[in-house]
Amino acid sequence: MKVLDRRKMILVNGCLFLLLLVSLLGCSLIGPVTLDFRRAFENMFLPDPNAEILFRTRLPRVLLGIAIGGGMAACGVVLQALLRNPLACPQMIGVSGGASLGGILGLIFFPHWLLPIAGGRLGEISWVPLAAFVGALLSMVLIYRFSLFHGRLHPYHLLLSGVIFNSFIAAVIMFLNSIVDFYQAQGLLFWLMGSLSTRAYLTVGFIWAYIVFGFLWLWTKGLSLNLITLGEEAAMQLGVETAALQRQIFIASALMIGAMVSVSGMIGFVGLMIPHVMRLIVGSDHRLLLPASFLAGGIFLCWADTVARILLAPAELPVGIITAFFGGPFFLFLLYREGKKLAV
Amino acid sequence: MKQRKQILTYLFVVSLIVLYCGHIFAAEAPSPQRVVSLAPSVTETVFALGFGSRLVGVTTYCDYPAEALRLPKIGGFINPSVEAIVEKRPDLVIGVKDSSHPVKTKEIEILGIRVVLISVTSLDEILNSFRSIARLLGNPQAGERLAQKVTRQLEAVKQRAAPAPRRSTLLAVGVRPLVAVGGRNFIDELINLAGGENIAGNAAQPWLNLPDEYVVAKAPQVIIQAGMGSERAAAMRYWRDLKSIPAVKDGRVYSYPSDKILRPGPRVGEGLEEIARLIQPECFMTAPNNGRNGESRCESPRP
Repeated sequence: MKVLDRRKMILVNGCLFLLLLVSLLGCSLIGPVTLDFRRAFENMFLPDPNAEILFRTRLPRVLLGIAIGGGMAACGVVLQALLRNPLACPQMIGVSGGASLGGILGLIFFPHWLLPIAGGRLGEISWVPLAAFVGALLSMVLIYRFSLFHGRLHPYHLLLSGVIFNSFIAAVIMFLNSIVDFYQAQGLLFWLMGSLSTRAYLTVGFIWAYIVFGFLWLWTKGLSLNLITLGEEAAMQLGVETAALQRQIFIASALMIGAMVSVSGMIGFVGLMIPHVMRLIVGSDHRLLLPASFLAGGIFLCWADTVARILLAPAELPVGIITAFFGGPFFLFLLYREGKKLAV
Repeated sequence: MKQRKQILTYLFVVSLIVLYCGHIFAAEAPSPQRVVSLAPSVTETVFALGFGSRLVGVTTYCDYPAEALRLPKIGGFINPSVEAIVEKRPDLVIGVKDSSHPVKTKEIEILGIRVVLISVTSLDEILNSFRSIARLLGNPQAGERLAQKVTRQLEAVKQRAAPAPRRSTLLAVGVRPLVAVGGRNFIDELINLAGGENIAGNAAQPWLNLPDEYVVAKAPQVIIQAGMGSERAAAMRYWRDLKSIPAVKDGRVYSYPSDKILRPGPRVGEGLEEIARLIQPECFMTAPNNGRNGESRCESPRP
């Protein structure tokens, strides 16, 4: 096993971190309406349109985009290693399906319920993401049970049960969608398509804390992930407790995915593509790949959401359209270039 | 005396012949007796024209008038069941252009059933749809009467709201996501007639998903959350932290829990008055408000 190149580590992640800061700034400045930034900062706590647009609608949204993009990409990296499958992505292991169903049931049965935090002093959060998160937890337990093979988590079983669970859930959701009334059905479809629209710093704060904690924990497993990609047998011979590691990683990523889908719906493609792109750029050492993917995922989703806000302004597009539309061709280009490099 | 009797007999025979001929001609072009409606607005129109008894099938969304609820269902608005429609043996199926399923309406036509798709994207088209449905059902006068009645309702509201300066308005269904009425939508015309100005009226799409920041930038003076199940409390909660929006500051965030203005049918006139009362309440006060107590009045401020 190669020793971690500290210089490369600092260089790559430092550059990406700077880029992330630039994106945070850039995406906060760009939107369907133009802003007077001086007035926005002067009237930060006053009911001024410039301040409200910048601090109440754009900034929380950009922050959420970075957290979700980073979290999705990090989960994609570990799932591709865990399942030893290049097609693995956060949407695949079934947890997102459970979260969607939970959220849909929440939207149908108690769309207006709010849960006051600290007696309402810290604001209220909607029950819909909570219902979605409960759905994610239940589906995680179910999928875990179905993926046990001779008492241990089996990658192929996990993959299959996740995919099949998701198709089953999709059928249930489509059934629910066809029995609710017309306008409700529209709302459900929009929710399913995913959106980063939020004004609740409370939710954004929760998600950030959750994802940063989850990511740091996954990062400590970087070396073991390197070994597990060599194959279970090899990893075991090299001293990795594969059964325990697989279980822990599944649970950690499932918890992260559940929380992310609960807040922003199913935003596809980031978790599949960013890990591959970063692997082509920085190599497949997970100690480097994980933070690089996290940062790149944040940058990518934050810009994708900005494009979704301005492309057809004033109408807003579902961000999933943008991630797939720009991400797909770019990924294919990288793959093509890599193929040519190897041929030479 | 005898001559008079002859004349009477003659008149009687002639009138019988005339009646019979009328019957023959009517039989040659019989007006449809078994009608299937593919949209809630069409169902409402058929009932308003007085032909509710001819409906043999409606969609699951057809809930007005109450009689429509008891009629056999042929499926949803987007996805009607061709089998269920054919089983009703209709002689006319009426749908809505651009909304009724194009493949399914074609299938029904291939099976030899007459399908008519009416266009209802603007108020003019809605008024014409009353006339064309009435003509299809063999009573053009009823269509003309209904169109005139609704026109009068629209005109009356327009007159009352006209003197007031127009209020910028956001009309949305659902807050999460925020789906607003755009341009090229008859509801946009209704907002204008009600003395409002749609903040998304210049959009190319009839319905669009608006980002919150656009609403803050456009600073609507009135926000209306429409559609069944919309609650004022929920709408207020959603907007309350954006106090720079005049509608929020002045408490002009309303809910309009009804389908009247959302359906391109005969209740648009009634619905228009109801939303005009939200947008320009001063113009609908029974006692004249002379502008004392600093209250706004239903007229433009004098220069």
